[in-house]
Amino acid sequence: MNNKIPNFVKTNQFGLLILVIVFICIFSFSTDGFTSRFNIYALSRVVALDIMIGLAMMVVILTGGLNLSLGALGVSAAMFGGWCMESMGIPISITIILVLAFGSFLGWINGFVTVRTGVHSFIVTLATMSIYFGFMTLLTEAEAFRKLPEAFTDFGSLKLFNKYISPLLIISVLTCFVLYYIFKYTDIGRKLIAAGANPDAAELSGISVDRMFIYCHMLSGFLAALAGIMLTARIGAAIPSMAGHLGFDWLLPAFLAPVLGGTLLSGGKVTVFGTMLGAILVTLINNGLYLIDVGEFWVRFFLGIILLGAVLLDRAREYFTVKNSIVS
Amino acid sequence: MSDYILELSNITKNFPGVKALDNANFRLKKKSIHALLGENGAGKSTLIKIITGVYNQNEGKLFLNNQEKSFSSPNEAMNAGISVVHQERNLIRRFSVGENLMLTNLPKNNLGLIDYNTVAKESKKWLDIMELDIDPNTIVSDLTVAKMQLCEIAKALSLESKILLLDEPTSSLSPQDTKNLFALLKRLVAEQDVSIVFVSHKLEEVFEICDEVTVLRDGKNACESEQITNLNRQKLVKLMIGRDEQIIKSKKNIDFTDESLLDLQSINTDLGHKNINLNLKKGEILGLYGLVGAGRTELIKCVLGLDKINSGQILLNNKEIKIKSPKDALEKYKIGYISEDRKKEGLILMHDVLSNAGITVWSNLKKILSFLNDSIVYNKVDPYVKQLEVKTPSYQQIVSNLSGGNQQKISVAKWLASGTDILFIDEPTVGIDIKTKSYLHELIIELSLKGTSIILITSDMPEMISLADRIITMKDFKVVGETINNHNYEEMSSSIMGNIHE
Repeated sequence: MNNKIPNFVKTNQFGLLILVIVFICIFSFSTDGFTSRFNIYALSRVVALDIMIGLAMMVVILTGGLNLSLGALGVSAAMFGGWCMESMGIPISITIILVLAFGSFLGWINGFVTVRTGVHSFIVTLATMSIYFGFMTLLTEAEAFRKLPEAFTDFGSLKLFNKYISPLLIISVLTCFVLYYIFKYTDIGRKLIAAGANPDAAELSGISVDRMFIYCHMLSGFLAALAGIMLTARIGAAIPSMAGHLGFDWLLPAFLAPVLGGTLLSGGKVTVFGTMLGAILVTLINNGLYLIDVGEFWVRFFLGIILLGAVLLDRAREYFTVKNSIVS
Repeated sequence: MSDYILELSNITKNFPGVKALDNANFRLKKKSIHALLGENGAGKSTLIKIITGVYNQNEGKLFLNNQEKSFSSPNEAMNAGISVVHQERNLIRRFSVGENLMLTNLPKNNLGLIDYNTVAKESKKWLDIMELDIDPNTIVSDLTVAKMQLCEIAKALSLESKILLLDEPTSSLSPQDTKNLFALLKRLVAEQDVSIVFVSHKLEEVFEICDEVTVLRDGKNACESEQITNLNRQKLVKLMIGRDEQIIKSKKNIDFTDESLLDLQSINTDLGHKNINLNLKKGEILGLYGLVGAGRTELIKCVLGLDKINSGQILLNNKEIKIKSPKDALEKYKIGYISEDRKKEGLILMHDVLSNAGITVWSNLKKILSFLNDSIVYNKVDPYVKQLEVKTPSYQQIVSNLSGGNQQKISVAKWLASGTDILFIDEPTVGIDIKTKSYLHELIIELSLKGTSIILITSDMPEMISLADRIITMKDFKVVGETINNHNYEEMSSSIMGNIHE
């Protein structure tokens, strides 16, 4: 049935795309300056980060878990990077590698503890969030690194494509393609998804589920660290509070993007480009509401409402999968 | 006035793309046990769901006590006296038996708190009617599987149900428990005015306790309210599958003095297995028989490294091996395990056919940088999926949308594709229709003839006796007997039951 409708139209991504277009239209007409070069550039810098944060959460949601330490982890990694460049004088390229390795290591701790204790990652990452952030504040004495190499900070304020787009967005979009490739076209990607969908069946089919879960957490740490570097480049400094206290500022976009994008909270399904579209939608709404000038608290209110709506959507998706399975 | 308590006439139920029921009739006589039979996908479950108010029919009428009814929810059907006892247990495991029985109507005292004395007293009444010797304060999870099943029936009775639908009630019961259950059902019909709809794949049971039979095939009546006395097994099977059943027997000459391929020596495990010795020859089908809870599946899981082996040795080709995980078993030693629980452990229901059938071979197929695309997997698994005649619209179909038989075929196909030397096959045909069942039997025999060595766990005695070359009997996590199978049902079954009840 419905053979005439292309499959893409029936997907969640298509719905999101329509929503994105609708919001762009609304904000273009109802606000001044939404389509200005300045605003689009600003948007591209914000959305780049939101995509990365969303992906970092997505790869843990894949396991049926959560990573609450995402923000704390990203900021810790960024502060580590600031220290490397400013205090140790380590070259930028090596610093980036070190930061990504450090982020993966912190992610590995999350994964290892989760797998070994069998405690839900919600609790584990709640604890590590506090540990990472606390430790970072202790070591840095809550001082920022503001004298970063110019080449690094310049990259953050670079403007491409007739000065409309930040290179940060290109990094995020490229990351999406790489992740899509991994999940779609590699053995390891398939195993990650299988382990997330049904750990028992995956284990008995010869997949080391524990290892896959640890990989997911490491990947999450890697992406969060990358987001941390991007934010540092964008601000031009590594500041302990740049993602809010305990990294809380990252959590809302981190959940919104993948859940809006169609990633199942119960695990076993990823939608990389859905997450990308989800992040774009969130940033758009955020930005548009600021431009309409509804006030900071209303923006938070709306984003909360959207998250609830997205969770309802998630429930509906599960419900329909069940419904389909009854009819056999 | 007719003496039917429940009548469904000319029921049609459409699902998108499928006509699940097509003008089907079903009549349940008062105080009778009526078998509802049919292959998987024949429409049994749909019919039951219409009776219990889960679905509404598109066409046709439902009469209860000669009054036309239509239930819009399971609750309404329950209030009208129709109860289902599902294959899956519907008891709350951490609650006591009494609490479970009284759950919908818990008695309260003056303060509005639950009055546990009355709970115990009331529930005892129903347990007594069933002549069940269970203390209402027992926690459900402490009961045996059989007792849980009986409690479910007690719960249905406590709701004053006059119609009981039993869906595969014996699938996890021992022969003794089954006998007790049947005696109880007969008494309920005689003494409590209950009418029973009995759904089972085990035809022996149907002949034992049912009065009338209705068979569905492709959503239509293959027969309607036929007296059981007018039928025999062959006729019944023919009604169900539309052709005669083929009887399969394994016939092989295995030299049991040959060296063993796999050898378990004095294995003691964390789970409580005591001094297990068993060996498997090349190309042999070794049966592991035992009642539920005898520790058979658990033994296999210990061998696969999922639970700890405390002492003893596992030898493969006379060399000691240590299996750390199923991954180890598959990749290092070419040992595979087809789980008894295909929904939880065998398949990833939310994923498509291709990724389920290919999951065991991804590691082998991956190219440089772990590259793997669908067509590589497809080329590898397609021959097996074709060989097993899996009926699916495409490889992109989500597995949960397939019928039970096709699901089972896929969980078998993935192990065929992996090309293992040793296969542990656990209850391969539970809840599978006759056609697929005999197909799987042929396949298991064919595999062993081609040199795959198989350890077969099954609680289905006829299946065990037609397939196994040698039968090991287990009880309470110990091996209690070993018999070379001569495929004579009478002799073998009494010898095996003898081992168990020694």
